[in-house]
Amino acid sequence: MIGKIWDLIILSPMINVLIVMSGYLFDNFGLAIIALTIVVRAATVPLTLKQLGATKALQDLQPKMAELQKKYGRDKAKLAQEQMRLYRESGVSPAGCMFPMLVQFPIWIALFQSIIRILAVIPEQFLNLSRHLYSSWASVFSLVPLNSNFLWLDLAIPDKFLILPLLVGGTMWVQQKMVTPKTADPKQQAQSTMMLWLMPLMFAFLTLQFPSGLALYWVVSNIISIVIQYYVTGWGGLLPAETEKTAGRDKKYIARIAKAEEKPTDYADAKADIDSDVGADIVERESAQKEGAGRYPPSLRATQRHPKKTKHPRRRQS
Amino acid sequence: MSFWRQSSKIIILLAMLLLLIGGLNVLGCQPTKAVPRGWSGAAVSDGALFLGSMQSKLVAINVSNQERLWPDVPFEAKKPSGGFGCAQAQQAVAIYGTPAVTEELVYISGYNGKLYAINAGTGALRWVYPREGELEPIIGGPTAASNSVYFGSSDGKLYALDAATGDRRWEFKTGDKIWATPLASGDTLYIGSFDKKLYALNTADGGKKWQFETQGAIAATPLVYDNTVYIGSFDRYLYALNAADGSLKWKFMAGNWFWARPVADNGVIYAGSVDGKVYALKAENGDKIAEFDLGSPVISSPVLVDGAIIVASEEGQIYSLDTVNKQIKRLADLGQKIYAPLVAGEGIVYIHSDKDILHALDVKSGTTVWSLSLKSE
Repeated sequence: MIGKIWDLIILSPMINVLIVMSGYLFDNFGLAIIALTIVVRAATVPLTLKQLGATKALQDLQPKMAELQKKYGRDKAKLAQEQMRLYRESGVSPAGCMFPMLVQFPIWIALFQSIIRILAVIPEQFLNLSRHLYSSWASVFSLVPLNSNFLWLDLAIPDKFLILPLLVGGTMWVQQKMVTPKTADPKQQAQSTMMLWLMPLMFAFLTLQFPSGLALYWVVSNIISIVIQYYVTGWGGLLPAETEKTAGRDKKYIARIAKAEEKPTDYADAKADIDSDVGADIVERESAQKEGAGRYPPSLRATQRHPKKTKHPRRRQS
Repeated sequence: MSFWRQSSKIIILLAMLLLLIGGLNVLGCQPTKAVPRGWSGAAVSDGALFLGSMQSKLVAINVSNQERLWPDVPFEAKKPSGGFGCAQAQQAVAIYGTPAVTEELVYISGYNGKLYAINAGTGALRWVYPREGELEPIIGGPTAASNSVYFGSSDGKLYALDAATGDRRWEFKTGDKIWATPLASGDTLYIGSFDKKLYALNTADGGKKWQFETQGAIAATPLVYDNTVYIGSFDRYLYALNAADGSLKWKFMAGNWFWARPVADNGVIYAGSVDGKVYALKAENGDKIAEFDLGSPVISSPVLVDGAIIVASEEGQIYSLDTVNKQIKRLADLGQKIYAPLVAGEGIVYIHSDKDILHALDVKSGTTVWSLSLKSE
């Protein structure tokens, strides 16, 4: 029953659409897969943007998470409780980052099934294709089986030259690097580094196992993700220079806070300093408390740094 | 400093990745690959049956007592398996084509891209083609005629070999894969290709006599009947062509692909389609006389026995179609999938199922005379 629904709703439409697209794209199945990838990614742009928003929100929470780690590091239960509370109060869901990827799972499976049927590698699979063709679409009958050659690839089998696994892993690494949050916490840093390498390696490994057609989808999909990511958040963690700049900026913040706590500066000096650092806003303990410190738990409000949503008290005066 | 640290980390990981890739390729691990199983039909000759089992073996059976004439002959795998942690490393070689039998030799081809000539009396290997390496997978069966053996490969070529020695006589390149079994009729060899064309070649030198282009790929074997060639295509049409020049006489459209070879009797063509129907058509003009709905695709080629067309549906229903009164009768329900072409001899039809069981059915009563699992030896 589930198999029939799957065939009716996902597999058969994908097979027929891929065949027809190949017909329009010079009988080239590789171009059809690329076109399909673009269509799927265009259709899921709202989800992708939501994912990027959720990832960004998670990144913004990283300083707070680090504080929680420091504060409740020994009490695991309390730590988990506080973390959940932080997520809840800030409206961020870690699952929100994974959802767009989960949505693509059925597409990967259907594409894999389509490829092994359409390209006539194994007679049993190819014979099964006849059940999926729409009888009212005469062109699909004259187009199958499709040619499996695309560039240096045989789309029905894994890439013999191992270029595709490197492309899949490489593009995924770039994408992961762009979204990996910067953190000063060594534990989180280690975790981020592991994730940064784990996914690309895993997909590069999968590319060795699956038909190149599916890996082609992954490469194109990754490139689209990189482009979207760039337009939404820039290069993110990809550029080392930016990281250093940010780190330098953070040092400045720390120095300023220390200076402010030791000896309050007069307004004129502070203004000059602030004007030289565009976007370098600091929410001081006092103002944070006045404004209720937004969405964070009381335990963390004292150290909140939220550049865009708060204003420096001295700027308000001017 | 951090740049070098970062770079060395990348180099180490890339080295590990390359090691992983190299290791996997050496081991030949491809666990997600779907596995071909095969559907060889049986060839009947002098009280013996020859067919390829799903265990990658050529099996020779004495019809009278169902015992093996000689020990099963195993096929060699295309790629030696590494077996290190690879669950499916030991892959069987699928055999799709029905063997061709001459007085002395049995010819059989496999998905491993090789054609074997086996001594019909002893089971000893006479020769193998190619002697070194292998071709692309061979799906169709071989055809033996005029001291030659002919077969097509997924590399798009039709090969003609010396039947006695296995030396290549000629080859003919088509535009796409060949999955069909060639048909020899007189001095003409007919072969369909995935390039959508049916070719008529000179058996002596492979010279092209004519070609006919359909709108779909061709996997079926043609039928030559009364100076007309009948060929089914994936474009859903059955074509009737003049055997002399390949010109179109008529065409008939079904609901899905034609995969099975049609049969003819008394001026009527019987063609089974993947749409689940068998069509009875007038040979001279293609007019439909009757159609019979079998309920599931007809992939297995039917056979004519004593004035009845015996046809199997994919789901294992066996029917007898009376060619005189055009009545259909269900003979048996095997409950196993049937893809292999049917073959008959002395009132018995032999059916190789997807469970690797060979069934012998009486064509009159439909009773099972015997069933033999090919896995047993």
